[in-house]
Amino acid sequence: MHDATAHTSQGPQPTMATLSKTQIDRLGDRLRKGRPSEADLRLLDEYRLSFGDAYDAIIRTIREKLQLEPTGRTAKTPSSIAEKLRRESIRLSQIQDIAGCRIIVPDVFTQDHITATLHDTFPETRVMDRRKSPSHGYRAVHVIVMTQGVSVEIQVRTALQDLWAELSERLSDVVDSSIKYGGGDPEDRQWLLLISDSIAGWEELETRLHPSPDDQAFHKIVASEKRNLVKIIQKKISTLESNRKR
Amino acid sequence: MLFLIEYKRSEGRIVTLKTFDDTDRSKAERTRFEIELELNQKKIDHEVVLLDAADERALRRTHRRYFETAAQIANSLNGSS
Repeated sequence: MHDATAHTSQGPQPTMATLSKTQIDRLGDRLRKGRPSEADLRLLDEYRLSFGDAYDAIIRTIREKLQLEPTGRTAKTPSSIAEKLRRESIRLSQIQDIAGCRIIVPDVFTQDHITATLHDTFPETRVMDRRKSPSHGYRAVHVIVMTQGVSVEIQVRTALQDLWAELSERLSDVVDSSIKYGGGDPEDRQWLLLISDSIAGWEELETRLHPSPDDQAFHKIVASEKRNLVKIIQKKISTLESNRKR
Repeated sequence: MLFLIEYKRSEGRIVTLKTFDDTDRSKAERTRFEIELELNQKKIDHEVVLLDAADERALRRTHRRYFETAAQIANSLNGSS
């Protein structure tokens, strides 16, 4: 596994036909402050659309050459960009997931294989292994591909990692928007971390033991653990939802 | 296929979902931006996202938070690998 390995020492350097790096970063400074003006939204859209050719090339390669089925997102939303700028000490021109895609795979073995394949397929990549360093419980592998002067992010998640991520996102939507970035009620945060740790434990066990599909004893234990965890999650969700209604 | 989703985060609810053919990407991007402009003008904080998936089944698999409640997402743990 390649951990944060760069094929190149150069970072992504967006080369805009009409927007200079200074203009992009000044736009980012304004977005950080609050609701954007119409002019700034237009400028931001111009910037986001400039990732289109690189995005197309990468998606096409993943679909046609690697025979995988990614779901792409052509442009990060203005609010997600603004939130990221406020949350992290980062400039707009440094954001690496303006355009990107997501691939869901069954298990860690496939995740490792696809990550290595992506790393070998694209000349300039950087791999961020968030399984080794989870972000507030979020575990996945992100492959950043640098091409045509911009970066495009490929998220590679196992089904279990994706389940946790979608659960966390959904709770951020309807309960507290800060949950997924380590905010909100400390008890809720701990609860999400506990689920993430449980999933990490199963995946680690699976990697270590490499059980065959016929290993009924192993799969029975994991299935029982999952049922218990679902009960715990459902109970917590009921509490969160009833608190929200008050 | 392209899916343009307007999503009300606080309610976890899709407001509109429009589909476009892959060949209509420019039109889809223009429509996305028009909705963003309109919502910004009205000070409405909905998420507007254009997603590019093989079909709706693939979209629902990779972006389930738009379609499923937290309880439904959690329940699927029982059937996961």
